[in-house]
Amino acid sequence: MLLKIRNLNKSYQENKLFENFNIEIKENTISCILGPSGCGKTTLLNIINHTVNADSAILEGFENKIISYIFQEPRLLPWKTVKENISFVIKNLDIKEETVDKYIRLVELEKFANYYPSKLSGGMRQRVSIARAFAYPSDIILMDEPLKALDIKLKLNLIKSFKRIWQFDKRTVVFVTHDIDEALLLGNEIFVFSKAPVIIKDKFTLSSSFSDFTLEKPEMISLKKQILKIMD
Amino acid sequence: MSKVFSKNRIITLFSTLLLIVAWKVVSLVYQSEFILPSPESTLISTFKIILSDNFFPAIGLTVLRGIIGLAASFILGVGLGILAGTNETFNAFLKPILVTIRSTPVISLILLALIWFKVDMVPIFIAFLTMFPFICTNVIDGIKNVDKELVQMAKTYRISHWRIIREVYLPAITPFVFSGASSAMGFGWRAIIIGEVLSQPKYGIGTFMQSAQTFLLVNEVIAWTVIAVIISYIFEVIIRKIEQHIVVWN
Repeated sequence: MLLKIRNLNKSYQENKLFENFNIEIKENTISCILGPSGCGKTTLLNIINHTVNADSAILEGFENKIISYIFQEPRLLPWKTVKENISFVIKNLDIKEETVDKYIRLVELEKFANYYPSKLSGGMRQRVSIARAFAYPSDIILMDEPLKALDIKLKLNLIKSFKRIWQFDKRTVVFVTHDIDEALLLGNEIFVFSKAPVIIKDKFTLSSSFSDFTLEKPEMISLKKQILKIMD
Repeated sequence: MSKVFSKNRIITLFSTLLLIVAWKVVSLVYQSEFILPSPESTLISTFKIILSDNFFPAIGLTVLRGIIGLAASFILGVGLGILAGTNETFNAFLKPILVTIRSTPVISLILLALIWFKVDMVPIFIAFLTMFPFICTNVIDGIKNVDKELVQMAKTYRISHWRIIREVYLPAITPFVFSGASSAMGFGWRAIIIGEVLSQPKYGIGTFMQSAQTFLLVNEVIAWTVIAVIISYIFEVIIRKIEQHIVVWN
């Protein structure tokens, strides 16, 4: 199944971000949107999330879809523990408490379940926000550069955590980034966006064999070169 | 850390001692118990007051008035503050009321309260009007300072409005509520005692201060003042302890 956005138009004052823009996203895959800062990547996520209204657009396949969001910052409630932060979004949803424990285990934070966010590192907090997004019974997970503030080692750990949890529970993921390495390590499909007004410069489908967390393979290196050339 | 702590303690002790020495020196200069009694005669008066039959009813009722005033200010201040903080129209409605209450001289409020209420109610009414705007304004400021990104996160996860107020706004404003309550108590105490001085309920710190002043018992006036300061300090400590107990996440 495909989720389609057709004839999307969105401007901020004189600045046209999208003009008759079209994109098709495959369900149950990780689609990476790679593009320069300020090109409208976050706006696209916000339009999908209905927190920003498009000037005009036809959205197909999004009806009744439940969405969870992994933000740039973890956005955890400081007065709730790891476990309580995850329970917070699923309370009243007829979901068992064991679900929370399951996702805490999947992001390897069992020992920290009763810790407050102030006692966790930045990477750990972002892992909690990943667990929260998966514990929520969503159809689509939107990710807005959640790895931006992390160093390379933490980034790789987080990508591993994310992939592990996603293999276990495949959802439709739309992941926005300006970092080619993140897109190559995480994505099943990569859409390369131009500057605003956005056009899709190219689209790449990655074979699953790429997902072994290495950028050193010759195929990866050549793909990276190809994308870099397109982005220039 | 402990070195700094003990150094600060020594400085505090030194400044307190300096104050007592200055007091003693001035009392020696005037040599009059009617103008400024010495620290030791004030201390004796304080013990006499503590051992008197009037002590517990006086402090008990003054403290009770303070607690009733604080509780009423707290409930209304937090409730109306949340409404005003989350609703601009209500905020515009409440703002002039808060400004008027805050700018009205305490003495005007007391004079009016003396006409409107029975003597026992006057200090409570004054305490309420002094403390309520503090707590309410702090709650409004607290709500406005709530991290909007947390609220947006909660909305993305379709959390109900009521749960957002209870689980996002309320904990976020807790430190503001406590700092409001703490400053409100400081002003509230003074207002209660002024209220008691002027309305003369049967028992109250202000009532006994006023009768001591009438008989020119300056040492008793100062002794009651010292007692009021100590009670105010105890309240401050209790508020801080409750805050530490509730705001555990920092």
